[in-house]
Amino acid sequence: MVYTRKSPAVLIIGLVLLAYWFAVNGGYLDETLKYLNTTRAKPEMIQLSLIFGIVSVAAGLWYLFGPHEEGELDYYASTIAGGMFILALAMIVRWYLDPGVAKLSREIGPVLPGKRFIHDMFGLNYIVLGIVAGMIIVNVLKIPDWAQNGVRLSRLGLKTGVILLGTLYSLGELVQLGKLSVVLIGFFVLGSVGLVLWIGARRHIPNSMAGVLSAGIGVCGVSAAVASAPVVQAKSEEIAYTIGTVLVFGVVCMFLFPVIGHLTGMGHVQFGAWAGTGILNSAQVAGAALAFQPDGIETLKVAEIFNITRVLFLPIIVLWLAVWYVRREESVGRTVQQVDTTRVIFEKFPLFVLGFILMFALSSTGIFAPAQHTSGRYFDNSKSKLLVEKDINTLKAESSKLKRDDQKQALNRLLESKKAMSIDHDTTLRGIVNSGVLSRDANAVLTRAHNAAYQTSKKIAAFRDWLTWLFAFGLTGLGMQITMAAMRQAGGQPLVIGGAVGTVKAVFSLIVVLMFVRETI
Amino acid sequence: MKARTILLASHGTAGAKAAETAAFGLCEPGGRIRHLVVVPDFWKGMLGDDWLNNAAVHVRFGRYVEGQLEREIVAHAETVAAEAKRRGFDYDCEVRLGKPAECLVAVAGKEAFDLVVVGSPRPKGAPGLRSRMDPETLAKGLTVPLLTVPHPGRDGGRRKDKE
Repeated sequence: MVYTRKSPAVLIIGLVLLAYWFAVNGGYLDETLKYLNTTRAKPEMIQLSLIFGIVSVAAGLWYLFGPHEEGELDYYASTIAGGMFILALAMIVRWYLDPGVAKLSREIGPVLPGKRFIHDMFGLNYIVLGIVAGMIIVNVLKIPDWAQNGVRLSRLGLKTGVILLGTLYSLGELVQLGKLSVVLIGFFVLGSVGLVLWIGARRHIPNSMAGVLSAGIGVCGVSAAVASAPVVQAKSEEIAYTIGTVLVFGVVCMFLFPVIGHLTGMGHVQFGAWAGTGILNSAQVAGAALAFQPDGIETLKVAEIFNITRVLFLPIIVLWLAVWYVRREESVGRTVQQVDTTRVIFEKFPLFVLGFILMFALSSTGIFAPAQHTSGRYFDNSKSKLLVEKDINTLKAESSKLKRDDQKQALNRLLESKKAMSIDHDTTLRGIVNSGVLSRDANAVLTRAHNAAYQTSKKIAAFRDWLTWLFAFGLTGLGMQITMAAMRQAGGQPLVIGGAVGTVKAVFSLIVVLMFVRETI
Repeated sequence: MKARTILLASHGTAGAKAAETAAFGLCEPGGRIRHLVVVPDFWKGMLGDDWLNNAAVHVRFGRYVEGQLEREIVAHAETVAAEAKRRGFDYDCEVRLGKPAECLVAVAGKEAFDLVVVGSPRPKGAPGLRSRMDPETLAKGLTVPLLTVPHPGRDGGRRKDKE
């Protein structure tokens, strides 16, 4: 089969991107960018539209005039079209839709105290808007034939994003977040899997139905349902029910979680931990984390560690369900096929986690952030590095808002020294920012103090930029795979049981996070 | 009223079983029943937004779902075929992937049928998947009389009351 479609669409996308590059580079769109407040993104627009414009034109010419024969080259080349389609959509969303919505929202005015606008409240940023745009395309407009084959590239984008994320953790962060996630995920995953199985037995649903539903609700949504369906020999109807239920619940959570997070005043670590525990689908965990904090990646870093922990739990849970299913069926006299446990463990192991660990290990050697990049910052007393009188007054006016002793001490020390004095000191100050206790102005002062003391290396900063685009690309593409037809299958007992257990998990994990998770990691 | 050739759309649900019973009752002795089973195209989207699994897991899941659907269809078709044989009807079965109403219209247009028989959607609260048969597509596309058989759960306890 020849996968490449002779369509001018990719060539047109390429020409439009090159025209856009020309317009931005020549300053013809400066007024528009200024109006949308996206002038900062101009270098990014120039770079990306030029690179991908050339790629797209080359691919488009190949599609139209190249000799297409069955084979691997044809298959891989055909995926470029779908990739360019997603990327073009992600660019429109990030450069125009997101700032347009934010502008409109600001013009409407704050809807909650603390200058909270509609787009802040509902997390209407490029990630959420990208997912929604993808969902609209697949459900209303339909994905064009020429792009169908490349839409799955979004998974590659997300996995690459998680692998690159490995460069942004310190050993201390990874150890502390790892411990926290193992405890929380261990409790809530095992608890919700067990709860679904228990309720399922009480309500007399088939073992195969209970098995696939418990994986979907308990571990990581559709991914877990896909991994577990064959081992519990789920019927087609049961798979449809579970995936429908998980998708509906996940989409609702993606919009609801950031709103609740803002309303309860959660910090980045708390929200990342809650989203990573309470949201069923792992893609929507990343979506909610970026919706909660669109202009930084602290929440995403926490949420992704929880995601990775869940994925590492997946082979164990699938194995448990396999053994459980065989025993349950045999206990009522049915003969079922025994499960190859070694194969389950190896096949279900997420290989991309090894890439994450490798990037973390490389980053730990300092290869991406040479020691010189922070030299002198902590010992630099030049005026440009110190807080000015106005900053000090802003912080003093709000110091009474802090309740924790370590945070009070850290703020007093900053006021005395006018700069962050050590990494621990800086970490505590970042914790204050993340907790969201202080006003935006005060947080801006603390962030300036942090930036004066800690400077990100160019490579790490580049990784962050790539990450943003990889997640935007991946989640926009994933939106194109959430079909209303699949969601409409939600219903019956699975929706009742799944909805109840999912809600219990979300509420209980919220309480636990608010009570026990501290902001400084 | 009896029909010589009937196109029956059914896939094993309670509503579809009512359609099977009606089709058997309406077919002339020695008549022919063409059984259409449609695998709805929502299965294309059933990997949902999964991105964590390896390709091997996706392939295994895809093969499993296809195998499972086939087992369910074969088991269902065998039951209908056995009943048709018992009653002396000529029976054959066709499986299609797509939108149920569109597939039904396409198959109905290929041959000369006297009647098309379908079940009706399950009543609210009854177990089972959502019906994907679009009545408007059928009404606009079919050139053959269509019989929609009421779902057995739709009349609730009314018949008993009448008795």
